Amino acid sequence: MNALAKLTILETKMFFRDKMQVFWTFLFPVLMIWLFGSMFKDGKIGGLTFAEAYVPSWIGVNIVTTAFFTLGTVLASYRETGVLRRYQSTPLKPWKILFAHTVQGTVIFAISAVILAIFGSLLFHLGMPKYLGSTLLALVISIVSFFPLALFLTSLGKNTQTSAAISSLCLNLMMFLSGATFPLQMMPDFLQYVAKALPLYYVIELLRATWNTAPIWERGTDVIVLLGIAVISIVLSSRFFRWSDKS
Amino acid sequence: MSTVITVQQLSKRYGTVQAVNDISFNVERGEIFGIIGPNGAGKTTTIEILEGLRKRDGGLVEVLGLDPQKNRTALNEKIGVQYQATSIQKKMKVKEAVDLFSSFYSRKENSKDIIEILGLEEKMNHFFGDLSGGWKQRVTLALATLHQPEIVFLDEPSMGLDPHARRELWSIIQLLRDRGCTIVVTTHYMEEAEKLCDRVAMIYNGEIKALNEPRLLLDEMAVNYLSFYSNEIDELQLAALPGVVKVENEEFFFKVFTETMQQTAYYLFKHCEEHAISLTDFKFEKGTLDDLFVHFLEKGKKDERIG
Repeated sequence: MNALAKLTILETKMFFRDKMQVFWTFLFPVLMIWLFGSMFKDGKIGGLTFAEAYVPSWIGVNIVTTAFFTLGTVLASYRETGVLRRYQSTPLKPWKILFAHTVQGTVIFAISAVILAIFGSLLFHLGMPKYLGSTLLALVISIVSFFPLALFLTSLGKNTQTSAAISSLCLNLMMFLSGATFPLQMMPDFLQYVAKALPLYYVIELLRATWNTAPIWERGTDVIVLLGIAVISIVLSSRFFRWSDKS
Repeated sequence: MSTVITVQQLSKRYGTVQAVNDISFNVERGEIFGIIGPNGAGKTTTIEILEGLRKRDGGLVEVLGLDPQKNRTALNEKIGVQYQATSIQKKMKVKEAVDLFSSFYSRKENSKDIIEILGLEEKMNHFFGDLSGGWKQRVTLALATLHQPEIVFLDEPSMGLDPHARRELWSIIQLLRDRGCTIVVTTHYMEEAEKLCDRVAMIYNGEIKALNEPRLLLDEMAVNYLSFYSNEIDELQLAALPGVVKVENEEFFFKVFTETMQQTAYYLFKHCEEHAISLTDFKFEKGTLDDLFVHFLEKGKKDERIG
């Protein structure tokens, strides 16, 4: 087996060895859905039922948590503890490291998405996505834009703590202002504009739409914005990839 | 013997700080070459330039016929690096780490060998994070050597190890050398340099102050001294004895540095007998690299004051 496959499998295995991380990644979103479900269960949000609006949204939020915490913060800690530096003096190429973590993140995210969908269907009678192909494609586009974005933003931190702080800031900001938790319609105009400046807004719009109302080709703006973020953040994250926190 | 590393007039500065200043040396195949000096002397910068991790500002560097700055990928196949205080993932098992790192190299060697030498069999199923400092050091040393590199770079390998683990590490390093590996090691433990290295370069303020076999270095320098206790002797009279270079006095414990040990001792005893001065605990002391080191530090400080 080659280095790339070994690294990917090993990183995935190690994720599951950290019980705390497993709990927060897989159960926290379920708890949130259950919590919001007991608040908004019978309300309609923009013409959608609670589950139709919130389950796709929280799948979107999970892309953000995976990107910032499972990928970004972990790589920042690898940078600080010298794990990456040790790789640096082997023939292993940096893109393989980033790729391995991206695949690992995708696997973990996919599991969490399936858990959420099953939970939604059991508790809130949520159906399968109406445009399954579109939803899957939307997820891929969202991952491609968020993973490198998180890798770049967390690499700006001087150490693991600052990277974790950057992650928390991004996550909280987007979680509360992108319509994932509180419906945007409830918010003042000003905050609705702020929402549109946050990348997660487009992920949530795209996922809600493809799950319930429209195929992906009718959501051109969302796709273009996300692909734009993807291109910029891939360039930035590979251009500014650092092996260690020293120079 | 053939030369595996050539360094000529290497220099490197960070901002206004000249970290490495015009140093030159060669490393021969199969030797343990020590780079010693105080913290911040330029040891790590030098070794990292050899490994290709840092760019140099000037000079020529050739490692195994390659320029580390230009051919790092090719060089990485042939060298092994043990860093100062870096770790691998805590939740990785030792056997997984060995397996992973083996897959990085195109040269497929049998890593069983190195595991046996390092005695790692019993720890193969342990998580890296659960190991003690000494074992962690062994694991990372295994990862740096499992592809049978031609040169192994060790940056402060025994930092934080207890004396027993340190001695075990030395014998492992010597074993690696006996198997044909060239070792470049930095340390600020002078004892380590003395017992482990075939040759040492002493770096201070980014410059090489001395370069030779540890034993010859000590012979060259006047760091041998007589030591004794006496509460009656006069320091000025001691300094006037034949051959005396310097006298140190700490609470009646005297160190008399001399180039002619026997002669000075003779006149010392003569002086004491004639004046009925008692000496206790008299010893001929051979200087260590520690003394030599302190000698350079003090000299450096003196030069700074003058300059």
